[in-house]
Amino acid sequence: MKGIRPLNHLSRRCYVAARRSSLTEPLSVNPRNAPSKPVFQPQDIQVSKLPSGLLIASLENYSPVSKIGVFVKAGSRYETPDNVGLTHVLRLAANLTTKGASAFRICRGVEAVGGSLCVTSSREHMVYSAECLRDNLDTVSEFLFHVIAGPEFRPWEVSDLTTRVKIDKAMASQCPQIGVVEKLHEAAYKNALSNSLYCPDYRVGNVSSDQLLSFVENNYTSGRMAVVGLGVKHSVLKQMGEQYLSIGRGAGVPGAKAVYRGGELRMQSSDGLVHALVASEAAVTGSADANAFTVLQRVLGAGPHVKRGANISSKLSQGIAKATTEPFDATAFSSTYSDSGLFGIYTVSQFDAAGEVIRAALAQVTAVADGGLSAEDLDRAKNQMKAESLMSLEASEGLLEEVGAQLLASGAYSSPEAVLQSIDSITSSDVVNAAKKFVSGKKTMASSGHLVNTPFVDEL
Amino acid sequence: MMSLACRSGALTPQLKATNVAVSGTLKALTPGIFNTSENVKKALNSKTRPSCVTGCAGVRFAHTDIKIPDFSDYRRPDVMDPNKSSQDSSESRRVFSYVLTGSTAVVGVYAAKTVVTQFITSMSASADVLALSQIEIKLADIPEGKNVTFKWRGKPLFVRHRTEKEVAAELAVDLSQLRDPEHDNDRVQNPSWVIVLGVCTHLGCVPIANAGDYGGYYCPCHGSHYDASGRIRKGPAPLNLEVPYYQFPDEDTVVVG
Repeated sequence: MKGIRPLNHLSRRCYVAARRSSLTEPLSVNPRNAPSKPVFQPQDIQVSKLPSGLLIASLENYSPVSKIGVFVKAGSRYETPDNVGLTHVLRLAANLTTKGASAFRICRGVEAVGGSLCVTSSREHMVYSAECLRDNLDTVSEFLFHVIAGPEFRPWEVSDLTTRVKIDKAMASQCPQIGVVEKLHEAAYKNALSNSLYCPDYRVGNVSSDQLLSFVENNYTSGRMAVVGLGVKHSVLKQMGEQYLSIGRGAGVPGAKAVYRGGELRMQSSDGLVHALVASEAAVTGSADANAFTVLQRVLGAGPHVKRGANISSKLSQGIAKATTEPFDATAFSSTYSDSGLFGIYTVSQFDAAGEVIRAALAQVTAVADGGLSAEDLDRAKNQMKAESLMSLEASEGLLEEVGAQLLASGAYSSPEAVLQSIDSITSSDVVNAAKKFVSGKKTMASSGHLVNTPFVDEL
Repeated sequence: MMSLACRSGALTPQLKATNVAVSGTLKALTPGIFNTSENVKKALNSKTRPSCVTGCAGVRFAHTDIKIPDFSDYRRPDVMDPNKSSQDSSESRRVFSYVLTGSTAVVGVYAAKTVVTQFITSMSASADVLALSQIEIKLADIPEGKNVTFKWRGKPLFVRHRTEKEVAAELAVDLSQLRDPEHDNDRVQNPSWVIVLGVCTHLGCVPIANAGDYGGYYCPCHGSHYDASGRIRKGPAPLNLEVPYYQFPDEDTVVVG
């Protein structure tokens, strides 16, 4: 009976009854019948430069998720004194209406394919990154390029961002580290790098769409951009770069050179914990000195290496533990920019022990500057640096950021092997010189909390 | 040349700020905050470290800020208790709703049919017209040999009380000689009464009774002669006088129409 096919095939469905052998031995699989696995060769990062000055880099990592990051030299250092706080609004304005797509369409279109679009800004760079499944890359990258190349900044949409700016600021004020880092930069520099990542209070609601448009026009030029794609074909990325991002020829408006002044900013509050950051001018990104400062940072202790650990074995912690019994934390802080850098110590302590903690931390650095650097400390620091640098490249966010930052800083990408070699080439005297530079340089300090026992920078 | 993470160590996240424009499903978000002041205070009291704040995304934490209104005024008593399962009462609620809907539908259909019928029947003949459609005649008033004319439906109606002699004469007529052959029995129900329309079938004049060569009617317009049965005998008319529908409800009355 044709209609009752399942009944006819009943015997085929009785798998258990059909099995004649027990499953204590593995089934033999004929290798000729086994499906062949595709073999993927690991690829290298390909970098090229378009005639418009745009740098393109891509890596085929065979991931089902594609990520595109567009790095623009338009960080907060490029704000002029009459448009401070603009980059904060610009960061929030990534989902506003553009010439090619409305705000609703961007949000809906990106969400419909399950992608995401986010903006990160640092003092040097503005990074627009989008990620989505490989097949939907066209859709999401189209929106990404609309946002970068054709924003309209409609005045009513920009004024709607005011609430979000306030929320951002409110949430940033909850994090004392952000406050201290921002104040440090404000105290350390006279211009450019002193601009905060967050909009100052007097400018909230006063950033106009004309200012945004002129900033974008001056700074978002192909010569100051790099496009990095992970899981994207190089040819595809090049074609996209040519099609969408040939905006503004040349290098655009060069930023002002940051002038270090060294000052102090104290934020008195009733918080029982004092967060203090003491720094002095260090090396520029990419120089050999910068590597030495980073090794010095690791020598002194740069954050716990064990999850939920306290890093009590770092030099700083051991030195401070002799000075006080109250809870504290200390790490070395280092940041480098294209024309300057900062290196220092960040301490968190109880307000009554703040002075001892800061002085003990600085004494540790002075000890290194006086030559107190053992070979095993140096090795440990170098190994930690190598491990951290390689581990940060394992995740796609870290890799994207790394490639983009390198492209914008030097125009080329140096492989991890080169980085490891440069770490290996650092000697003990480099590190000692770096520590000496810190000790002898003009110091900047930023502190927050109940500052009754916190020394001023000229007392250190 | 080392990565940002490597260069800056522990304070790396504080050296940059991230905002999500369109949140994908992979990013962990802190709960979004909206414009009301209570909500801002709520967020500020939370101890979570801010990582990034949502942009205009489709994420909304409905359990924190959207208030569901109180619908208890509109609920049936069976489902008033949020902790009780609604499955127990579901059948009775469903039956009630369906019965109500069904009966409303039936009544509605009936009402619609009534309204439509009323509108359509208003286009048919009105009562006064219908009233004029029948005529009742008392036969006792008409003597033998006399022809009485009535107005019926706008036309003259001849009611003739025939004598025996006329009846016999009509019955004896040879049908092959008639222009419109019709036997007398086919034209009358009761042989002594002839009821015909008094409209000449030629061009519509009214024939004169008890005139003409055949002892019936004579139309003066063009000279058509009809016999006592109303059949055409001579003249230009083509057909016999029309016999309407009539019936005798009793001996003495006839209802025509």
